[in-house]
Amino acid sequence: MNADLHHLSGAYAVDALDDAERAAFESHLLGCADCRAEVAELTAAGHSLAALTEATPPPSLRASVLSGISQVRPLPPLPEDPAAPVPDAVASVVSGPVTPEADAGAPDPVSSDAVSSDAVVVPLRRRSRASTWLAGAAAAAVIAVGGLVWSPWSNDSGTLSPVDQVVAAADAVRVTSSKGELNAEVAYSRQLGRAAITVAGLPPAPEGKTYQLWFVGSDGVASSAGLLTPGADRRGSMVLEGDPSAAAAVGMTVEPAGGSPAPTTDPLVVLALA
Amino acid sequence: MMGDMTASSSGTSVPGEGALPHPDAAASTTATASGQALAELLRRCARGDEAAFAELYDATSRRLFGLVLRIVRDHAMSEEVTQEVYLDIWRTSARFDPSRGSALSWMMTIAHRTAVDRVRSSEAARRRDDTHAATNQDIDFDATAEAAQASLEAQRVRRALATLTDAQRSAVELAYLGGYTHTEVATLLHLPLGTAKTRIRDGLIRLRDTMGVPA
Repeated sequence: MNADLHHLSGAYAVDALDDAERAAFESHLLGCADCRAEVAELTAAGHSLAALTEATPPPSLRASVLSGISQVRPLPPLPEDPAAPVPDAVASVVSGPVTPEADAGAPDPVSSDAVSSDAVVVPLRRRSRASTWLAGAAAAAVIAVGGLVWSPWSNDSGTLSPVDQVVAAADAVRVTSSKGELNAEVAYSRQLGRAAITVAGLPPAPEGKTYQLWFVGSDGVASSAGLLTPGADRRGSMVLEGDPSAAAAVGMTVEPAGGSPAPTTDPLVVLALA
Repeated sequence: MMGDMTASSSGTSVPGEGALPHPDAAASTTATASGQALAELLRRCARGDEAAFAELYDATSRRLFGLVLRIVRDHAMSEEVTQEVYLDIWRTSARFDPSRGSALSWMMTIAHRTAVDRVRSSEAARRRDDTHAATNQDIDFDATAEAAQASLEAQRVRRALATLTDAQRSAVELAYLGGYTHTEVATLLHLPLGTAKTRIRDGLIRLRDTMGVPA
């Protein structure tokens, strides 16, 4: 055990490390069972202080929290850090058959992993126009799974979130893409005329910026599909604004807060719609 | 996962808030809700059970909101952060791993990290400039705490804190309740750089040993 790193356990337990230290210590934690045990104990010890600061939140907060969650689908039990292969070539892909699960009520971690294990990487290029996104996306094979449904609510569609309703559509097709820690999945249904995106590993947008999604037509013209704000766990999902029927791809860029009428930066990710 | 399918679950859509427990019903359960009960509620949340989530909120919101408020200070921003925290708890409920700690500790970790991230963002940078206020906030529990002072658990925590050296206690409080990095803590306490992390760790170890906190 590295004595120096070991002494960071307390500061880590109370979130008192800076980002670089946190990353270094977390990689140390992976291989140090002693530190993992100590962190768990010291974290709990730290949280005991919160018994001194209890405060009653306003009732309006309860109402907002409860109405907020009904719009959001709980994530399936994927591993915390999907070990996505990250090819650094321009566009490299692993694809393979994915067996649809007949029993939607039995979540299958293997099929869920399709979200992260198949990588489509589109390079960041300076001053690329939307049409060049398509070239990148088209050069990449895409995993598309027709009608693959996973829902913790079994067949009770009454409780499906809007995103899940798209994912669960009979003709739903899913495409996935990974770049570094970023994993993105777009599900779309031509019947519903809707598409939904789910991302993981997306850090908060820089100050004064936002993530913006785009439908890109086969002519290369991008139209806004809405703004996405990832949560503290770097995940997010939303139903895209607009009909995917005419779109050839979905892309995501960083734009000034409030969004732009057309993309102004290179896409972080592009997913070709099969 | 999800091996335990026997637990009751709403199963059908909840028609509005009428079916949810009244907030007052669980107002005083924060300290007493057992870890196992919270873990079971989280498991139900992972299956989309909104009524279970409402119970979870009622059992933990005073603790989480109070912590967020303590760190963030601004009331409106604290509500915003707390909402974000509960949304994350709902979305990631399937990721809770009971072998790595209690359900409450897991939830508090999300709350603490989210609040700390918020105050470290540049929006809140001005708060950090006021080092005078910061160095004096560590003994100012009563400003935001409500009836917690009277609770047995709070008394126990106070007694445990009293066993720490002044330097340990200040370092732990500035880090945990103030949201400062160990480097900032060292500066605030005029400690040599690199020693605050040791004070924090030693203080937490003493807290753990005094209270016998289960992970």
